[in-house]
Amino acid sequence: MALAHRDGLEPAPVATFFERHQDQLIPFLFVLPALVYVGYFAFYPMFQTIVYSFQTPILSFTYYNYQANVQSGLYSWISNTLWLTAGALALQFGLALGVASILNRTFRGKTAFATIAILPIGIATVVAGEVFNQIFPGTGAGYANSILASVGIAPVYWLQHPWLALTVVIIADSWKNTSLVIIILVAGYATIPRTLYQAAAIDGAGALRQFWHVTLPGLRGFIVMALLIRGAQEVNIFQLAYIMISSYPQLLTVQVYLLWESSGGVPYLASAVSTVLLGIVTVFIVVVIVLGGRR
Amino acid sequence: MSTAAAPASAALAPAPVFRPKRFTLGNIGLYAVMGIISLFFLFPIYLIFLIAFTPANYTIYSGRPPLIPPQLTWSNLQTGLTAPNSPFLPSMFLSLEVAFFVGALAILIGIPTAYGLSRLGSRLAYGLTTVLFVVNMLPSITIAVPISVVFIKIGLYGSPISIGLAQELLALPVTVFLLVGAFQGLPRDLENQARVDGAGRMQAIYGNLVPLIVPALVAAFLLAWMLSWDESTFALILYNPATSATLPVNIFLYFTGRGSPVVGVAFSFVATIPVIILTVFLQKYLKGEDLAAGVRG
Repeated sequence: MALAHRDGLEPAPVATFFERHQDQLIPFLFVLPALVYVGYFAFYPMFQTIVYSFQTPILSFTYYNYQANVQSGLYSWISNTLWLTAGALALQFGLALGVASILNRTFRGKTAFATIAILPIGIATVVAGEVFNQIFPGTGAGYANSILASVGIAPVYWLQHPWLALTVVIIADSWKNTSLVIIILVAGYATIPRTLYQAAAIDGAGALRQFWHVTLPGLRGFIVMALLIRGAQEVNIFQLAYIMISSYPQLLTVQVYLLWESSGGVPYLASAVSTVLLGIVTVFIVVVIVLGGRR
Repeated sequence: MSTAAAPASAALAPAPVFRPKRFTLGNIGLYAVMGIISLFFLFPIYLIFLIAFTPANYTIYSGRPPLIPPQLTWSNLQTGLTAPNSPFLPSMFLSLEVAFFVGALAILIGIPTAYGLSRLGSRLAYGLTTVLFVVNMLPSITIAVPISVVFIKIGLYGSPISIGLAQELLALPVTVFLLVGAFQGLPRDLENQARVDGAGRMQAIYGNLVPLIVPALVAAFLLAWMLSWDESTFALILYNPATSATLPVNIFLYFTGRGSPVVGVAFSFVATIPVIILTVFLQKYLKGEDLAAGVRG
């Protein structure tokens, strides 16, 4: 330690393991309570869920929880969840890239626009679900149909087709969550040196080519991170979808809740669906760790 | 794309400077796009107000709900908040208790965790940050079900502490990332100097460092508070029907067929106001680097 030398202290000639790692050990002890907490309240319940999923109420081993759920339509719940995730990610990234590239400029009214763009962060998920349920109800009423009627379009029954129902959930979810992607991409834009754009402009690159060759490579790390965070959260979408479309089409999370609730809190059947959900999220987590390790 | 020629960016991006004719056109295009996007973000918020203050037969019970209120009323809020047996007051107290607990715990655990991470070697710090990051990605509902079993067993089921301990999983990682940034922003010599002057490590942290990051602490507390106030999955699985549920859970229950939606409307409005204000206030603390666990490009 530089400080020790400056003070004229002699470094210990033979350092023990503790002495060699002392500067790491004490900071680690400060982190330890948080690790114990997340270990007990996040990772332990996670493994508990996997164990429950292979148990009967008398705690013997079984595949029944999975078989029963496959019978009830597990594969379609998975595909609905994945379609919703893909659609929501596409919409949120398109929108967020647009907003972030606007916020990357300086113009009159920028602060107001930035504030508007992050307001949905403060709206509770259930409130967003309720409002969008008033915009896109299944009854042929609702605010979207009021607007359509004013231009002479017949009312749409938003929940009639599974794909249409998923689409309105995607719109609602993107309203609620695009702000997060915007914030991350704005941070990304800030890391791209202005001189790169100047150099590209001197080389004759137009706006589109600047975006492709300067902006996108510069944002890559942030885009990947935001995709992974949002992707995992998207798979976990629950109340927003349940308030808007109930169980048609059915999503993994909603099924977990309904199985848990209808059984009066008995976790076994619900845990099988939970474990599938966890499996999908684990894919995102593994990508985060692999990409992070490579950095 | 002529929109790239917006004059405002001219000072920073040099390309458009050479084509002054396009300025106005690009400008109009840019503001038109911003107008449409702003409308998309603001319309649902407008509806929260509209539905709260318009008689229900012009809103949730209308076949063609008008976008401009034909008349205004206080009765939705009155019905929701003062009706006999309205769960509003107990619900709001529970929400407040849980949110303050989550905020306080986030600070209590967040300070030592963030300090530790800011002093660890980069590889270990990165690994531990990833662990916290992963916690944020786990499905709440997957974790909530086994946690509920534990809380039932130890008799804490439905208590503010049990809901808060679960919600802290969402609040702690963001708090820690925010505070790590604050600690890293302080000169390392501050702590060394305090130690040389004879302060213990704890004394140096809480006496010399923490007072300098008070703004970040306030932001972290409010962010955690807000996450808890809005959180509904843990709160739904862990509430005790015999006592009380948090505001978002009651909103959820009222809109999924367990009560009058008008009451749900009133609850939604009341629950929304504080967090809109907080969001505007916290805007400059909501940083992409913190939310993405410190990606730096």
